[in-house]
Amino acid sequence: MRRGIYKKKVTLFITMMLLLSFALVGCVPKSNSSSSTSKTEGKWAGQKIRVQMIGDFAMEDKTDPVTGETAKGMKVVKEEFEKQHPGATVDFVLMPWEGYTEKTQAMITSGEADVYQMPGVADFAPQGVLEPLQPWIEKDKEFSLDIFIDNQVDGWKALGPDSKELDIFGLPFLGDTRFISFDKKIFDDWGVEYPSENPTMEEIAEKAKQMTGKNPKTGEQNYGIWFRGDWSSAFTLVDLAEGQNGTWGTGFAWDEVKFNFDSPEMLNGLNWLLEMQKYAPKGIVSNQGNEKWLSKDNNIAIMLNQGPGDTVKPAYAQGLGDRLGIVNEFKNDEGRGGLFAGSPITIAKSSKNKELAWEWVKFATSDFVQKFVFEEYGAIPAVKSATEWDSVKEMPLMLPVFKAMETPMTPRYPWGSSQPRFILTSEIEAALTGNRSAEDALKKAQKESTEWVENR
Amino acid sequence: MPNNSMDAANTATQSVNTNTHTESKTMKQKKRNSQWTWYIFLIPSFLGILLFMVYPIAESLRLSFFKSNGTIETFTGLANFRTVLTSGPFWNSVWNTFYIGIFQIIITIPLGFIFATLINSVSKGKNFFKVLYFLPNVTSIVAAAMIFQFVLHPEMGILNYILGSLGLPTPGWFSDPATSKWGVILLAVWHWIGFVIIICLANLQAISSEMYEAAKIDGASGIQQWLFITIPNMTGTFAFLLITGWIGALQRFNEVYVVGGPNGSPARSIQTMGAFIYERGFTGFEFGIASAATYIMFIIILIFTFINLKVSKMKI
Repeated sequence: MRRGIYKKKVTLFITMMLLLSFALVGCVPKSNSSSSTSKTEGKWAGQKIRVQMIGDFAMEDKTDPVTGETAKGMKVVKEEFEKQHPGATVDFVLMPWEGYTEKTQAMITSGEADVYQMPGVADFAPQGVLEPLQPWIEKDKEFSLDIFIDNQVDGWKALGPDSKELDIFGLPFLGDTRFISFDKKIFDDWGVEYPSENPTMEEIAEKAKQMTGKNPKTGEQNYGIWFRGDWSSAFTLVDLAEGQNGTWGTGFAWDEVKFNFDSPEMLNGLNWLLEMQKYAPKGIVSNQGNEKWLSKDNNIAIMLNQGPGDTVKPAYAQGLGDRLGIVNEFKNDEGRGGLFAGSPITIAKSSKNKELAWEWVKFATSDFVQKFVFEEYGAIPAVKSATEWDSVKEMPLMLPVFKAMETPMTPRYPWGSSQPRFILTSEIEAALTGNRSAEDALKKAQKESTEWVENR
Repeated sequence: MPNNSMDAANTATQSVNTNTHTESKTMKQKKRNSQWTWYIFLIPSFLGILLFMVYPIAESLRLSFFKSNGTIETFTGLANFRTVLTSGPFWNSVWNTFYIGIFQIIITIPLGFIFATLINSVSKGKNFFKVLYFLPNVTSIVAAAMIFQFVLHPEMGILNYILGSLGLPTPGWFSDPATSKWGVILLAVWHWIGFVIIICLANLQAISSEMYEAAKIDGASGIQQWLFITIPNMTGTFAFLLITGWIGALQRFNEVYVVGGPNGSPARSIQTMGAFIYERGFTGFEFGIASAATYIMFIIILIFTFINLKVSKMKI
């Protein structure tokens, strides 16, 4: 009798545990990852890597929300890699841009993937969780850094946990940059000459002033300029300082970082933004006023601090590719300036299949993958050969984008995703909204950022 | 024979006793077994609570004593708490949280109650009005915040269009620190008022009609009935709304994140305590600071809820 009760209990317990296991397994998202069985033949037999990617990537074919065309899924890339590496298996963990830093941190802490797309490489490399890539580059005779657009490799260099010199922890995977774009139609309507290839602050200010008011042809209200006064305003201001041969500061390791947030160049730059605010629509501090940009009813002549992802493909999708122009943002006397951006590709220190992971890194930077992600997802290539592709030639706006990618400041601003950026942003907002004078705002930003670095 | 009968009787009694004893033992065992079954059924949810609530809370407490970026950790004792408590942006976020919360509550509860009274008074279309007013509450606050950015657009927004048509000033709303908090308050009031109306209506319908009849016989006017019968009978509901409203207001994050990003643009004017924690933890990799701020926020909510309970005399 007791034995019967005991058996019943055990059966019930096992059933409950199984139910719980099923429930927990059910919680694991499947849609963004692919699974495969290990293969037993070929040079890479049984070896498997997991690759994390950030963006609009999908395993299956999907409709592009901008162009309305079907974009092929990443399964194409998977099949090609596995074909080129017999016996190997690659699985993807695809995630959106939203909250990518915290998700990457969680994944790398728990050893979830072998290869990561990692814009925050400068934050992760000092944690000792990334594989230094220089030895792999030196060992691999077939591979050359010359394939990348100039400046791209340097931009992703970072400090390891023990190193004093900047090392390569990531290779360029996706390109990105910042530039000034303008609406040729509005310039033509006002009879204003297009901006020069490397415009100065004075030139932009003069043209913005000329094109603010009632459009002489359409009678619509036009604004000379627009810039985002909130989220990316710190980078806009730093570029303005660089355009006057100033800098954000010096150093890369936190104990060496010194800010120049209250320098004369920064102050001049912030005063320039305050002046430009008069020729911009209301709402730049809340990312408003630019709703008509990239539409045929556009009412803004010049846009500062733009990126290719939000500009090039959407412009062609709207049939406005010929109407748009792109020129460099502000550069110093050496022709350098602006935010370095994009995504490098890195190998996790904890990866058990580093050889195969390195093969993936090379494959991801090959023309096959670079072309695929550009043509299917509009992601910007990081390789020089891209200028020769037919798909790039169909979009002439890509050529100034590649040029702009060659000249930003490198390495990437070390404070780009840390508290000093948010301190500076808030103070720029305080100045733009009249809550503080430009001088006081920058002094406060300098003081708070310096204190933060000293106390961290 | 008599002896035999006695023996038989004794044996029977013993047998009955034994049977009773065995029966009660079986009953107890059954009861115990049935209890075990329920405990087994409780295991999954208990494990869930343990894994997803107790462990993160304990881990967060541990982290608050460390300087941590997720992988590299150094014990710093109470330094994180000191940093947060002496941080200007943190106290600014506390101020913003309370400012938005106070105005949300003092506008929504009376307004919701007035609407509920009006809906309760109409003879036709009660359900229509209930659905109409409750709709904002079932709308996702994230979607609502995005729509409100258009509604409160400084140049193209419908609100400024109406204000302009009436010859009134047209503020910058979310692009001006002086008005951005009021933009969030408007959004919060719009979103919460449906809930307040439904709760008030439920209580209004529970007030005995005999009280109103007696008042009418005594010659009380409509306003007097509302003041001296309806409002005193609603105190429990107001207390409930006050407590739940404050807890929600102190945890505010979603709408301010959508409107102003993690640092509460413009110029941190709508950065709440939740957004401050997010900014330091997930955009700046300062998990120790974020954890310390979380515990400070928890203590603030605890103290404030305790005061609310005392003020509202609500029993929980």
